[in-house]
Amino acid sequence: MFFKSGKKNGFEGGGIVLFESVEEAMSGERALKAAEIENRLVAPPPELRRGCDLALEINLVEKPAVERLLRSRQAHFIDILPMKGDAELLQVVKVTDFGEALMVKAGNMKLTFDKTSGVVLNISGGGCPDIPYLHARMLGVPLEEAPRPKEMGRTLCALMLDRAYEQSLEIRKNGNG
Amino acid sequence: MLLVCGTAPLQTLPLTEGEARLEGHLLRVGGAEIPCTQGTAALVSAACKTLEYLHQPLPRVLLVGDDGSGKGSRQLYEHLIADLPRLAPRVVVLHYMLPVMGLMRRVSEAASKAIKRPFMIADAAAMYAAKAAGIARDFDLFTPDLSELAFLADPQATHPAYVSRHLFESDSTHIPEMVAAAYANGSAARTLVVKGATDHIAQDGRILDTLSEPDIPALEAIGGTGDTISGMVGALVHAGYDEVTAARIAVRANRTAGLYAAATPATRILQLIEALPRVFADHLDEWARQIANTRNKRSAT
Repeated sequence: MFFKSGKKNGFEGGGIVLFESVEEAMSGERALKAAEIENRLVAPPPELRRGCDLALEINLVEKPAVERLLRSRQAHFIDILPMKGDAELLQVVKVTDFGEALMVKAGNMKLTFDKTSGVVLNISGGGCPDIPYLHARMLGVPLEEAPRPKEMGRTLCALMLDRAYEQSLEIRKNGNG
Repeated sequence: MLLVCGTAPLQTLPLTEGEARLEGHLLRVGGAEIPCTQGTAALVSAACKTLEYLHQPLPRVLLVGDDGSGKGSRQLYEHLIADLPRLAPRVVVLHYMLPVMGLMRRVSEAASKAIKRPFMIADAAAMYAAKAAGIARDFDLFTPDLSELAFLADPQATHPAYVSRHLFESDSTHIPEMVAAAYANGSAARTLVVKGATDHIAQDGRILDTLSEPDIPALEAIGGTGDTISGMVGALVHAGYDEVTAARIAVRANRTAGLYAAATPATRILQLIEALPRVFADHLDEWARQIANTRNKRSAT
């Protein structure tokens, strides 16, 4: 099978979904198309090749939405990776103590909560359009009752916010918040 | 015309174009009412307050609802690709939108088709898209925070979530190296305003200024404090200030607004925006004079 490496239709996503078999790749493509998530069938670059010779190029930023959709359709895939650069999502989390509040930073996202009540006081950083949406839904809500960014959000910014959220819950659980 | 383009967290908001006006906690654009919260609404609100103070026309805004699906963002890109040459704004600020590399490249091409290419500012995911698409140098000004600067300094990363660990873990003492790397790999706009505990202003690879006073650590926690800087810079450039002076004034005004609002980690961005008119009344002339004097002294030596 031959695939042009050009930027057909201007689509250039920077992320790749790897599959075990061609059938799974085709089924993944159908699922994403039905959900109007932009993608195209490509040959995986040799350095990333695992499984079959067919993969889907997606907008890497939409990785959480793609992952969620494929899992919900039982469309099996091996991994979703950036086409260049570091293959690992940032795992580092930094915590700043403001006295009555703690700020937890994961990647480009920061979540600040009140140490006593656990209420989300602020969310800052990020740049994808689901962040103001999550901001509006999470502010003023105790962490334990707040919507999970990973479940409501669709982008890598939301995934980073989820890391900060998860860490904040962990801090609360351990009685350090 | 100052044109601000971005998304709002309202799924039902169609692509809306019009003059923006901040009334109380609501931003009014072409009949739509948008709460002034973190994101493009905060950017537009800060631009409104700045332009009002300077007795300049209010910003024109292109806003669309998008919850992250990218549908609204794509409408916005397509509208800009078709209409930017006709609109021919003097300054464009691109902000919250799903980063789509191919579409951002076409927006930049459309800007070049205007009679005079606008002064192009990108922040938030518009900046991610411009860097990932390899067209950062076509932009006049970016406003990254420290983690976004690490992203610009990483030649391979297409989103801040995939930045090399060693860059992400770099603290603010490494800003000069990261600024140098961002320029060296072509991932910086001509001017960078790096927002953080110490703000850095760089142009053409050289750091021109740093500012760390007044020191208000809580500003980092408040959603929208970067957006307000971008909004003020856009407004000040539109009002005739050169971009470095605009950046110097904007970072000072942001910090001073934090001081006036007695900012805590629980402060909302609207409280800072509401403090801006008093900040400008108290300091704008003095800052503009100081900045001009410093520049004159430097050029004389």
